[in-house]
Amino acid sequence: MMGVHLRNIRKVFGPVGVIHDVSMDIPAGEFAVFVGPSGCGKSTLLRMIAGLEDTSGGTISIEGTDVTWQEPAKRGVAMVFQSYALYPHLSVFENMAFSMRLKRAPKQDVHDKVMEAARILQLEEQLEKKPSQLSGGQRQRVAIGRAIVRQPKVFLFDEPLSNLDAELRVQMRLELARLHKQIGATMIYVTHDQVEAMTLADRIFVLKQGVVQQAGKPLDLYDDPDNRCVAGFIGSPAMNFLPATVLGREGDCLRVAIEGTEASLMARVSGDLPAGSRMTLGLRPEHLTTADAGVPVTVEMAEDLGGVSYLHTHMPDGREIVVEWRGSRHAGGGEAIKLTCAPEKVLVFDEQDQRIR
Amino acid sequence: MKTRKLENWVLGIGSLLAAAIWVFPLYWAFITSIRTEERVVSEGAGVIPDEFNLSSYLAAIFDTKLLTWYWNSIGTSVIITLVVIVSGMMCAYAISQMRFPGRRLLYGVVLASFMVPSQALVVTQFILMNDMGLINTWAGIILPQLIVPVVIIVYKQFFDAVPKEMREAVVLDGGGDYTLLFKIYLPLNWGITTALAIITFISAWNQFFWPFLVITTENQMTIPVGITQVNDAFGVYYARLMSVALLGAMPVAIAYLVFQKKVTEAVMISSGVKG
Repeated sequence: MMGVHLRNIRKVFGPVGVIHDVSMDIPAGEFAVFVGPSGCGKSTLLRMIAGLEDTSGGTISIEGTDVTWQEPAKRGVAMVFQSYALYPHLSVFENMAFSMRLKRAPKQDVHDKVMEAARILQLEEQLEKKPSQLSGGQRQRVAIGRAIVRQPKVFLFDEPLSNLDAELRVQMRLELARLHKQIGATMIYVTHDQVEAMTLADRIFVLKQGVVQQAGKPLDLYDDPDNRCVAGFIGSPAMNFLPATVLGREGDCLRVAIEGTEASLMARVSGDLPAGSRMTLGLRPEHLTTADAGVPVTVEMAEDLGGVSYLHTHMPDGREIVVEWRGSRHAGGGEAIKLTCAPEKVLVFDEQDQRIR
Repeated sequence: MKTRKLENWVLGIGSLLAAAIWVFPLYWAFITSIRTEERVVSEGAGVIPDEFNLSSYLAAIFDTKLLTWYWNSIGTSVIITLVVIVSGMMCAYAISQMRFPGRRLLYGVVLASFMVPSQALVVTQFILMNDMGLINTWAGIILPQLIVPVVIIVYKQFFDAVPKEMREAVVLDGGGDYTLLFKIYLPLNWGITTALAIITFISAWNQFFWPFLVITTENQMTIPVGITQVNDAFGVYYARLMSVALLGAMPVAIAYLVFQKKVTEAVMISSGVKG
């Protein structure tokens, strides 16, 4: 079985469990992204795959070999750190050559591999420089180059773009996507930035409190989240959540009353929910439209980004709803509007925050 | 503006006076060393140099065992410096980076040993050296001087500050503790190594009390101890005494002049540790 496979992985720090029974399969050549809020265990999981953290239970296999208790250097993984972790006293060339020098590889091999990595990352001009003479983006490229030279089975990235400014981040994101296409290696990437996750991943694993909430293709997670955590985390701006009560069934839809208002919305749900059941509705900002009848809100502020605007509105009880607005420019705050959403776009979550389909 | 100018003048003159007071003994030693013995003890030998006679220097070099003392001082100081730096660095690395039972206790012991004045150990150390048959040997001079906790403490602080990711990157690259210490931590902290080496060397070179106790034969003496022999062997020959003292202090003075910045840095770092 090629790729990376985790079976019932657990991690405890003293009495505290941080990873609970995680199993996942990442096929060879896939770009997998672990995403989740701070403290969800995504970095710990990555470090366990790298061998930098011991595993408290379960097995990790890479390319068919059980590596659970193998030393980090023997697992065939290379890691790119958030802080780059370059050796400041060595030149870019020596940084990239370091692992091969430790293995006492022939000089010509070292030279060829470093030059190849430098060519892929366009670092040929920087090879003699020290890391302190490079920009943030270049340093991160050197860190990636160091990983490429090792020719690992799996590349591990621990929030590699977090230290870069917004513009460089977008640029490096594209470079990473290009790199993955070019070398076709298995890559596992940890981030808390869902935009990075959506744009880079073949498959996203959303984690919360050490449990995988859902795994799947980015758009599958976006369109069809299993629970409120995934629904809230994937998508920017985040999904709006409104508490509601079931009024009754009308054909293939449920009519639900929005708490704190007189308004009701229709949600296409096949699951049976008796009238009076409490639930939460999930409405994406881009699925909300204005209508004559709907949830009454007052526009508090508009973020005009040119092609699109985000209206920050609030309901009579003060709850905020963000609406994506395209087309005509919005005038500004203070306006009262009513919002509605197509029934098939309304997501329904039960009181345990699980999705009802 | 005027007040500030005046303030600068007062401070400047004050500093010059203080410097003159500090430098005077050295100056006095120098003018004494270039006088003849007769002139030194004659009436009216003032602070103005009135002759330039190198006979006391020639006597110091050829009539005393100065060159042997030099050799002893260089040998013992270099060995002490090397062993203190290498062992201190390795100990600090272990305490800072490795995880083993008793690590904290070990560091506690290092800190505690820092609090024991060396004079308090002199008698026991002397008995120990005597029992080991090391009186009048280099080993006798060197061994008790190898315990320098401040080196361990300073190194540990610097090693603690190296980012954890750097260590992990090396581990993933296939390096072990040897690679980490000698290829990463040491080159990253060359500055502190140089600084610690210089102050260790200077302190070993200037050491008087212990070598004075443990060495009784002239052939094994270091320079500071040897100076006492100039006095004993030739009566009170001030010019010769001063020339031996100046020649003895010269390597340290040159080292200080060359590495002035590093020495200041080292003193500041280690005094910072001492709090």
